[in-house]
Amino acid sequence: MQSVTLEVIESARLYGETHILWLPLPEAFATAQPGQFVMAYCGEGYDPLLGRALSFHRTRQGASGLEFALLFDVVGRGTDWLARRERGDELRLVGPLGRGFEPRPNVQRMLLVGGGIGVAPLVGLADRLVEEGREVTLVLGARSEAGIFPASQLPPAVELIVATEDGSAGERGRVTAPFQRLLPWCDQAFACGPNAMFEALHGVVRTSQTAKPVQALLEGVMACGMGICYSCAVFPRRGGVKLVCHDGPMFDLRDLYA
Amino acid sequence: MVDLSVSIGRGAKQELRLQNPVMTASGTFSNGLEFARRFDLDALGALVSKGTTLRPRKGNPTQRTVETAAGMINSIGFQNIGVGALIREVAPTWARWGVPVLVNIMGDTVEEFGQLAERLDGVPGVAGLEVNISCPNVEVGGMEFGQDPATAARVVRLVRRCTGLPFTVKMTPSLSDMRPIAQAVQDAGADAITIMNTIPAMAIDIERRRPVIGNVFGGLSGPAIKPVAMRHVYLVSAVTDLPIFAAGGVTTATDALEFIMAGASAVQVGTATFRDPATPWTVLEGMRAWCDEHGVKSLGEIVGAARRMD
Ligand SMILES: Cc1cc2nc3c(=O)[nH]c(=O)nc-3n(C[C@H](O)[C@H](O)[C@H](O)COP(=O)(O)O)c2cc1C
Ligand code: FES
Repeated sequence: MQSVTLEVIESARLYGETHILWLPLPEAFATAQPGQFVMAYCGEGYDPLLGRALSFHRTRQGASGLEFALLFDVVGRGTDWLARRERGDELRLVGPLGRGFEPRPNVQRMLLVGGGIGVAPLVGLADRLVEEGREVTLVLGARSEAGIFPASQLPPAVELIVATEDGSAGERGRVTAPFQRLLPWCDQAFACGPNAMFEALHGVVRTSQTAKPVQALLEGVMACGMGICYSCAVFPRRGGVKLVCHDGPMFDLRDLYA
Repeated sequence: MVDLSVSIGRGAKQELRLQNPVMTASGTFSNGLEFARRFDLDALGALVSKGTTLRPRKGNPTQRTVETAAGMINSIGFQNIGVGALIREVAPTWARWGVPVLVNIMGDTVEEFGQLAERLDGVPGVAGLEVNISCPNVEVGGMEFGQDPATAARVVRLVRRCTGLPFTVKMTPSLSDMRPIAQAVQDAGADAITIMNTIPAMAIDIERRRPVIGNVFGGLSGPAIKPVAMRHVYLVSAVTDLPIFAAGGVTTATDALEFIMAGASAVQVGTATFRDPATPWTVLEGMRAWCDEHGVKSLGEIVGAARRMD
């Protein structure tokens, strides 16, 4: 965990209400794993006061070295400020934070499931897994087509399956149905999205009585992102309390809901 | 170079000497373990632990925090591992550190404060206590102990009997005048006074038509509350000889120096650490630089400086 100030390389609306920021990858973030996140501090003064937690989206080779991206929806004053950053503007971040996805070393078929902006960390994971020569199927769900990450931006080897609630792209409905179809195929699954989606996925896992591991990347209301304020509590069904930012954000789905 | 050291419990069984006046505020630094590898904790004056209770607690339901204008509201509700685990699992690590650690303690009853003080007495790694009679986020006790001088005095007298450790008592800003409580706490044997805990507050979500915080109410902290804390420090320092630890929005060295000039002997950095984990250190460096620039040889020269016109 380190604090860095970086100059924006590229800032653009990528699709719908979703924005992408490209930044130089600093030495301090070199070890960052898909599923880990940064806190991004928005605004100049004390308002907004707190950072915004954003997943590492993906990395690329830029003109002058490695670059990484943050992908976010404009949902409030902080993300609105972020979306208005332009090339050359400075941005202060703390990271890498939390525990990211942990793909098993010797398995081949990887199922990735994203709801809404939950796609952000899955793209970087897909990049990584394809690079390692594994088979990747990515299921993306959103209310409508405007909320679906563009297929053209994915590695060609990724098989993309889209579900929209209004049927404007892909199959009509939620990610639950394709997840159910593909669960028997995969060796390991990874998911990121709203909490309601995880409940639905766990329902599928339970009824299919599979022991397939599903890693869930959780969202929590964070104040610090660093494990020091205890804002981002999650209460596993079996008891106890965990911190999303510190014990997670990656949890085994079963450890939360079983 | 300026002498920034601060002493608490002077003349008590055990004196605690802080090498400088910058501490972390309870509940905003966990128990320090998360930062130990990355930051030079030993450069700080002291750390204050997460609020600790007799038994472990899961804390309040979510949502537990919300950002507000230049501040935040929290209702964590004392999620902590309990004093037993703290002594077994955390204190041995603290004992290896150079920085003194004060344990923030909170009881549901007056007796529980005594039991906590007794258990922590003599534990290696525990340099002192912060007695929390001001938490807005619990159903029983909490800030009730800090709103009545007689009750506050009972808590403090009992803690005094149960421990040889130096201790500070943390005040609630839920009263417009803290001075009667401060005097009661001093007379009952406290070694220092921490001003202040969060201000009881709430926020509403208009889409859900519900309070934002799961527990409905919480405590306001951050830059927004600094002027309120400043006034309490100024008023209380006029009626007590005890050192005052100021907490409330400290984000820069200027904030800290304002509190010192209002009458505080040390400051605690809380919410500002969430925004930038290096804040306690930048506050300290800034204070040192200011003192050197202004020919201040010892912090004592400027403690209460703003009050000399009274
Ligand atoms: C998330 C959070 C948790 C806190 N937990 C405690 C606690 O356990 N015990 C306590 O005495 N004060 C607690 N406080 C209060 C702080 O120690 C401090 O008194 C207050 O936040 C004002 O300082 P600040 O504006 O610098 O944050 C907490 C504050 C915050 C923001
Ligand atoms: S957001 Fe502060 S502990 Fe997780």
